[in-house]
Amino acid sequence: MRELIISELSQALHEIARGFAHFLPRLIVMLILAFVGWVIAYVVKAVLRSILRLIKFDKLSENAGASQLLTQAALPSATEVLSRFVFWVTWLGFILLGVQVLGILGLQEQIARFFLFLPRLFVAMFIMFFGLLAASFFSRAALLAAVNANVPSPRVLSLAVRTIIIVFVLSIVFEELGLAEQTMLVAFGIAFGALMLGLAIAFGMGGRDLAKRFLEKRFVRGKKEENEDELSPL
Amino acid sequence: MAEESYLTDDFLRQLINVGEVDILVGLPTHNNAKTIGSIVHTIQSGILRGFPRERAVIVNADGGSRDGTPELVTGVSIDDVRPASNLYALRTLHSISTKYASSPASGVAFRTILAAAELLRAKACVVMSPESANIEPEWLSKLLRPIYDDGFDLVTPTYRRHKFEGLLITNLLYPMTRALYGLRIREAYSPEFGFSGRLGSQFLGQNVWNDGTDGAGVELRFTLAAITGRYLICQSFLGKKDHIERHAADLVPALRQTVGALFSALEPDFPVWSAVAGSQPAPTTGADHEVLLEPLRVNRKRLREMFSTGVAELESVFQSILFPSTLAELQRIARLGEEEFHYPAELWVRTVYEFAAAYQKSVISRDHIIQALAPLFRGRMFTFLMENRTASADGVENNIEALCLEFERLKPYLLQLWKSRE
Amino acid sequence: MPLKRDVLWYKDAIIYQVHVRTFHDSNGDGIGDFQGLEEKLDYLQELGISAIWLMPFFPSPLRDDGYDIADYNAVHSSYGTLEDFRKFLGSAHDRGIRVIIEMVLNHTSDQHPWFQESRSSQDNPRRDWYVWSDTDTRYKGARIIFLDTETSNWAWDPISKSYYWHRFFSHQPDLNYDNPAVREQMWNVMKFWLEMGVDAFRLDAVPYLVEREGTNCENLPETHEILKELRRKLDEKFPGRMLLAEANQWPANLRPYFGDGDEFHMAFHFPLMPRMFMGLKLEDRKPITEILQQTPEIPPSCQWCLFLRNHDELTLEMVTDMERDYMYDAYAERKTMRLNLGIRRRLAPLLDNDRRRIELMNGMLMSLPGTPIIYYGDEIGMGDNINLGDRNGVRTPMQWDGGTNGGFSTAAPERLYAPLIQDPVYGYPAVNVLRQKASEHSLLNWMQRIITVRRSTGVFGRGSIEFLYPANHRILAYVRRLGNEAVLVVNNLSSTAQAVELDLRRCKGNIPIEMFGRNMFPRVGDLPYLLTMGPYQFYWFRLRRI
Repeated sequence: MRELIISELSQALHEIARGFAHFLPRLIVMLILAFVGWVIAYVVKAVLRSILRLIKFDKLSENAGASQLLTQAALPSATEVLSRFVFWVTWLGFILLGVQVLGILGLQEQIARFFLFLPRLFVAMFIMFFGLLAASFFSRAALLAAVNANVPSPRVLSLAVRTIIIVFVLSIVFEELGLAEQTMLVAFGIAFGALMLGLAIAFGMGGRDLAKRFLEKRFVRGKKEENEDELSPL
Repeated sequence: MAEESYLTDDFLRQLINVGEVDILVGLPTHNNAKTIGSIVHTIQSGILRGFPRERAVIVNADGGSRDGTPELVTGVSIDDVRPASNLYALRTLHSISTKYASSPASGVAFRTILAAAELLRAKACVVMSPESANIEPEWLSKLLRPIYDDGFDLVTPTYRRHKFEGLLITNLLYPMTRALYGLRIREAYSPEFGFSGRLGSQFLGQNVWNDGTDGAGVELRFTLAAITGRYLICQSFLGKKDHIERHAADLVPALRQTVGALFSALEPDFPVWSAVAGSQPAPTTGADHEVLLEPLRVNRKRLREMFSTGVAELESVFQSILFPSTLAELQRIARLGEEEFHYPAELWVRTVYEFAAAYQKSVISRDHIIQALAPLFRGRMFTFLMENRTASADGVENNIEALCLEFERLKPYLLQLWKSRE
Repeated sequence: MPLKRDVLWYKDAIIYQVHVRTFHDSNGDGIGDFQGLEEKLDYLQELGISAIWLMPFFPSPLRDDGYDIADYNAVHSSYGTLEDFRKFLGSAHDRGIRVIIEMVLNHTSDQHPWFQESRSSQDNPRRDWYVWSDTDTRYKGARIIFLDTETSNWAWDPISKSYYWHRFFSHQPDLNYDNPAVREQMWNVMKFWLEMGVDAFRLDAVPYLVEREGTNCENLPETHEILKELRRKLDEKFPGRMLLAEANQWPANLRPYFGDGDEFHMAFHFPLMPRMFMGLKLEDRKPITEILQQTPEIPPSCQWCLFLRNHDELTLEMVTDMERDYMYDAYAERKTMRLNLGIRRRLAPLLDNDRRRIELMNGMLMSLPGTPIIYYGDEIGMGDNINLGDRNGVRTPMQWDGGTNGGFSTAAPERLYAPLIQDPVYGYPAVNVLRQKASEHSLLNWMQRIITVRRSTGVFGRGSIEFLYPANHRILAYVRRLGNEAVLVVNNLSSTAQAVELDLRRCKGNIPIEMFGRNMFPRVGDLPYLLTMGPYQFYWFRLRRI
């Protein structure tokens, strides 16, 4: 009996040892990969940071209004944030690669899905960033145009433009990430439609006078010119 | 040489047929069919009277007219197939035309004209505008003679104008170019001017059309290039300035063409204007300026309102451009009523200089910077109108001179702003 | 080579204008004569000309270079006898060369016996042969022609104590064509020469024959009547002879002189000539094409006479003031070169002795529609001497060789009727027939070649002309057509190389064959025909369809 237990035990120990022996190299490989990944990620972060500094990425993000968001969230500058983000993603990637080497089945699938997800994440961030940039630019353009054309409530118009663009960008981002696409699209549709309806109502009812004055200015030129001379600036 | 790619084959063929000329008249057009006939006829009279023995050509650069303007120009060539109706011409006077784009862009039109002038080796050139309602044949001589006979390189016009017309010139362009570049040129940006082939070729070689602005306001850059290149410049009095259509609402495009061009020239021209102090008068034939004093009804109230609205609504934009103290000043006067409102010269100069510095650093999109200046300029217009409501011609001129001196006095401030890069 | 039997011979002619006095002196008196001229007929035959136009050689006091005639039926003693002339005429005809002589109808010399009689008293039978008046106020509308010397068209005659009418010099009183006796006599004069064998008359100063009050006394209908009468008689008695009008008028006013083919056969195209020089200086064909556009159609039997220079000044009467100023500045900077609204210089000096320009101008002369006239000496590029006064600077002795008197005469140099040109550039040692005959590329040989090419086809003399108007205004291009033949002529008026695209769609499919070298050029297709031309170059292309 005792021999049986001992042999079973030793067999089990053998199994464990063998399993361990199988596992250990992989573990070591994983650790090596993790280490190498850390080094590479660090280098990438440093390089990226230098590049971003060179192209004055901070200023660009300031234009985008992203910097303001970051300061509000008590985060460091855009360059820093992006560099660190890239660092973590890179390192995580290598770690996951190492984990994959371990050969744990279920995990592999998840890891594969994670790697597939990465590019879409990058694209979404890209879109988000430039979307913010565009929103800022166009809202300011609308503001200036409205002020110079003497249209009332220019800031409202500017905000409206910014909102629309951001909502639009968000819906694209969500679609890209594959998160609640339909919901976002529908939400965007509803919001946009509501805005348009609201403006129509405003023009039709509440803003009758405003609309009247606006249209008069556009189309009934002759009457105005009888009253006063226009000065040409040049 | 920069001409190859943007001249069409057909235009080159026309240029070959014209051959070398002594005088070239450039005429940019866009849908000017109503008036172009009489304008071309006036130009021909001017050439045949002033330069009967010289070889001349009229080059029309058309920006995609749909009303047959180019055909009207070429249809009045004077040659043996179509002899002149009532003008006597010793030799052929060609009238050729090319379409430089599908939509008008005066900078590109000017480049086409410069290219033609270089290929035809024209000695003296002049650009005329189809918008000027009262061109006279003598204008050709007035703009060309100094170049052809006296060796000048650039002839800018001076006009007889109403004291309230051209405020962008009297309140910004003239004082600022005078203060920075050191030469008192009244109309650095004008629809008609004369230049020598020498200057034209050199400017064409500089190729300012590729710096992103697509040549907006390139006529102003041209004048500035003549100054920085130490070319001989003079002014010539033409007469009354009359636009065919008045464009008061086009302040922003006017700002782009002039102030935008000026600001964008400051960076490359820094070595020149930073070394200049004071200003010199330019040789002038005829009066330096003449002022009409007839009463003019102007909607001043609207100007002040737009100023106040602008200051209020564009605060976020101004924060990126102006110094906090300047912005605070502006906000203070924006709150003043019509009677007390006053945009003093010193504040205006500081405003302009800070805008120039912001433009150089591109704190926000450069075009937005220019647009943001518009409401502030309207405030300045209001003050100028009020100050000179009852002023005589001399009174107006004294006020303008005072403003110019203010620009010159505060030039060190601009230099200081310039050097303090972020 | 006998004369061609052809009533329209003048359309194909190449005329050589010469004064017998200037050509060749056979008897050593320093003045050219008919025997001398006859001796040089071989030279003229070799050159290729087909008619000689002789300047006036009748007896005359020579105060207007022979245009002041004292006897209509004789030869001036300096030039020989009537018999010498007959012999010369026969020799010319034997070589196939016709002879055109001057007939001054409008006026005579005041030394003419007719005038001597007419002025002797108021009752003389020939009194009415001239135009007399007690006052000098009649015919105020008539302009003065010799502005440099005359101040009025009336001159006072001390003998008969009245005024006589003279459109030219005061020693050239006008004949009175209202008198039928005058008209009869002048026809008899013409008949005299026609019967001798003369082929044609150049009728001098024809616009001025008749005067009428209240007009400008030029081109009057009565004048045309008289001329038509002369022509009628000529055709009746002497078919195949020709009348050439000297009428310095605008083309529109010249047109009546052709009538309906029943007046003059030929007339000089005066306005074209200064415009050819102008077009050359301006480097612009406009002056040339404009005047030809304004030239009216003439009857099919009629012909224009074209010339570059002649014995008179290069007249600038038929140009505007602006054009005249331009021509003066361009061609006659020194005031001494100007005379009577004209420029008194020869062809070569006018063109700065530039061979290319001389060739171009001759090329145009030979290819534009009309009969070309070569002024003696221009075929070798002779120079002028403006210090000789009046228009004598262009009438110096012909330069035959580099020897004594340029081979013109054996007389002592002081006895010559006029001094030879002696400067280093144009003088007779440098510019003479002998040298140029020996040199293959001389102007003389070139002239011979171009005359040969011109005579090889009837297109130039008789064909129509259609101008092409290429956009390059420095190129003068036209197509001459006669029946199936077509010749394309392209001239570069500019001193610089040019490129030109010609619209030859009407000639599509033709092969241009250059007429001097007889080489083919690319066939005409659909596209505009591109030619590149050197300074002052010209092309004659025979358009051949094979």
